[in-house]
Amino acid sequence: MAEKGGKGFSLPKNGKSALKSPASKGKDDISAKSKRGRKVQFDPEGSLDTNLTKSNGKADQPSSKGVSGKGGKGEKVGSGSKSQTAKAPGPLELRVEQELPDNTTCLMDCEAADILQGIQEQMVVLSEDPAIKLPIAFDRGLTYAQRNRLYDNPETVKQILKPLKEHGVSDGELCMIANFAVESVDEVFALVPSFKTKKSKLRVPLENVLGELAKLRRPA
Amino acid sequence: MFFHIVLERNMQLHPRHFGRDLREKLVSKLMKDVEGTCSGRHGFIVAITGIESVGKGLIRDGTGFVTFPVKYQCVVFRPFKGEILEAVVTMVNKMGFFAEAGPVQIFVSNHLIPDDMEFQSGDVPNYTTSDGSVKIQKESEVRLKIIGTRVDATEIFCIGTIKDDFLGVISDPGANA
Repeated sequence: MAEKGGKGFSLPKNGKSALKSPASKGKDDISAKSKRGRKVQFDPEGSLDTNLTKSNGKADQPSSKGVSGKGGKGEKVGSGSKSQTAKAPGPLELRVEQELPDNTTCLMDCEAADILQGIQEQMVVLSEDPAIKLPIAFDRGLTYAQRNRLYDNPETVKQILKPLKEHGVSDGELCMIANFAVESVDEVFALVPSFKTKKSKLRVPLENVLGELAKLRRPA
Repeated sequence: MFFHIVLERNMQLHPRHFGRDLREKLVSKLMKDVEGTCSGRHGFIVAITGIESVGKGLIRDGTGFVTFPVKYQCVVFRPFKGEILEAVVTMVNKMGFFAEAGPVQIFVSNHLIPDDMEFQSGDVPNYTTSDGSVKIQKESEVRLKIIGTRVDATEIFCIGTIKDDFLGVISDPGANA
């Protein structure tokens, strides 16, 4: 029932029934729905009791139908309510460090491009051995890294980003800054939600870093 | 995002490969077995960059195979929830669009596309704003945020959104045409 209420609540976008549903409670919503769906079997029945039991019985059916038959709608509603509950605690934050083993270093796209390009050049030499073949994932990874490559010299970029580390910015967050052609501090705050708590502390150093990076960036 | 990571794997080698080039055999088998695979924890193993150590081999009972613990460094690509990626659109339909960022596939549902963009069918299906200034079609480059991931034996599939600040189209192939 609670779910139904949710459905009625999120429907307004979709049209007709939506106009009625916000005021009505879950039950009414269901009966309205089942009327729409199964009018012929429903309406002629008389007493309240039978109507209630029937409406309960039917209530299950359309909902399951909604999920399987009208798949899209059912799922969308579900996901909508999910995202609402997920959003409640706060914006989606990147937790790279917590989810990966200790012996891991984040790579900027330009660093990855250098490494993968090096491997590809080596493979040209090794390619006489037909047993060694680069997988599709390699090609895709290389294409991605090259396409997103913004800087020619990853070491210089690292040096520029270093001061941010003193302000508690993690490696993953630094890579996010280096991987995109970010133009303003507000853009950084929008893309990296974990900075929100230290906005005031980071604003000035970030401005400096972005200024430096903009000078180094490859022309588009 | 790309990562450099040290992983370990027990490699089994048949005795016929024992000899001076045992290590090379081990490495080439490792590359064949591991490169291109993916897991939920590490993401896609894009390439092996080096071997840290090859441990002492252990003969397996009943077979002639020997197991060697091999520690290796590799470049992996793993998408995270909350991560921003710049992806290339591969297919557009009324349900949303599919995009590719490296080896990862991303689906952006039409619910996660800004409300002012509408689906236009035709030869080149696309999502366009009412004034026609922004268009998402095949080959467009979009900046999106990952909100969910699913890991398969052979691929990682993500759900993304462009319904947020500073997300959306960054380059449109149709703009020049």
